[in-house]
Amino acid sequence: MKLKVWGARGSIPAPGPETMIYGGNTSCIEVTLSDDSKLILDAGTGIRQLGMAMTAADQPVNILLTHLHMDHIQGFMFFGPVFSPESEITVWGPASPEASLRDRIARYISAPLAPVEVRELPSLLTFHEADALEWNIGPARVRAQAVNHRGPTLGYRIEDNGTVLTYIPDHEPGLGAPLASVEDEWISGFDLARDATLLVHDCQYTDTEYQNHLGWGHCPVSDALDFVRRTNPERVLLFHHDPLHSDDFLDGLGNDASTRWQELGGAADEILMAKERLELDLDQLPAPQAVGAAAGNGQRPRSRA
Amino acid sequence: MSAQRPLELILSRNLLSSLSTPGLLVGEGGKLLFFNEAAGAFLGRSFEDATGLDADQWTAEFGPLNPSGDPIPYEDIPATEALRQRVPFHGQFAINASGQHRPIEVTAIPIVAPDESTAAMVLFWPTDGKPIHAHPAHLADHLDDNGGTV
Repeated sequence: MKLKVWGARGSIPAPGPETMIYGGNTSCIEVTLSDDSKLILDAGTGIRQLGMAMTAADQPVNILLTHLHMDHIQGFMFFGPVFSPESEITVWGPASPEASLRDRIARYISAPLAPVEVRELPSLLTFHEADALEWNIGPARVRAQAVNHRGPTLGYRIEDNGTVLTYIPDHEPGLGAPLASVEDEWISGFDLARDATLLVHDCQYTDTEYQNHLGWGHCPVSDALDFVRRTNPERVLLFHHDPLHSDDFLDGLGNDASTRWQELGGAADEILMAKERLELDLDQLPAPQAVGAAAGNGQRPRSRA
Repeated sequence: MSAQRPLELILSRNLLSSLSTPGLLVGEGGKLLFFNEAAGAFLGRSFEDATGLDADQWTAEFGPLNPSGDPIPYEDIPATEALRQRVPFHGQFAINASGQHRPIEVTAIPIVAPDESTAAMVLFWPTDGKPIHAHPAHLADHLDDNGGTV
């Protein structure tokens, strides 16, 4: 399984010279499965350039939407394949008691926000609500589960040939719950992330910033690390960068997260920062470096029993 | 896998943890999944002591009580049938709390998860005007200091 980041930003696109390294496009990840078929995780603005890079061989297209906030769907209308009659696109996303997935997406792809309507798109578009569901896409087993964010939001666990990718880009598991001590079964997203090969996870705020953003549905560094410690993935890709965070700031945030992870006993290269165009082969990840000396016990930071 | 609780239940627990009104979560078959510190202060038991009690155990200890002062079996509690029908319930009971019979009002809200499992969030409060003595934030210390009683 391979992964390519086309957008790692949260909330709103943040283009400019100060975000050239991490990128300004919002959430979108391309996943290549073991049979070379593709999955797309979220349709933020990054999906526009992904669409430009896709070929006819990449059909059919499966897009897994975590939720319908703008930073996760804004690129959909600029995703080239939706305008091709040869395209067969299946969109998976959260159910809502309010309206169908198609109708909720159509609120964006309709006047006055858009010049076209969903019904006018020439591709073969199918929408599936994916709550509490497991299903197969090509060689992958996909599991969707509701996670703690604002509004109906899913996380995804994708397993292919023994490799597991977990994608929870918008997540506030520590809201009202002390992650260091609460039991596993009471942690949002736990089963999705547990022992994954790679966990892509929200880390929008520093701990200081988080104090002014409680309940906004996003993670501070400390909760992201606690969630990782509890769920024990091999690697974590910190994701959904705040639009106010420049490249320099994110370098500092990443260094801080890595340092704190090593102080907990982890290895520095287990904590990665998502950058636009970053590519990872999850089947070829090198073994983690030696664990942090600070813990002194030679053990990775593990979940409590 | 840990048989993680549905998100609806996780959020309910997180909410209850932050409330000063006594509240608890009851799962399938009446199993007591969680109660908050305010409930612990009122009932005289900490969550750590009482979590996981089955319906027979907690009704025997806390009630609710019939007019004779005997515990009402779980299946006969009016709230049980209402929640089984997935509708909220509000009513008045007497219960055993910290060794005393106390009148309370109860509001129970059904929680139905995507997998169709059901639970209930129950809020309750005394109606006899007597205060709940321990502040929730200090309940654990209070119980330790008083041999487990409030």
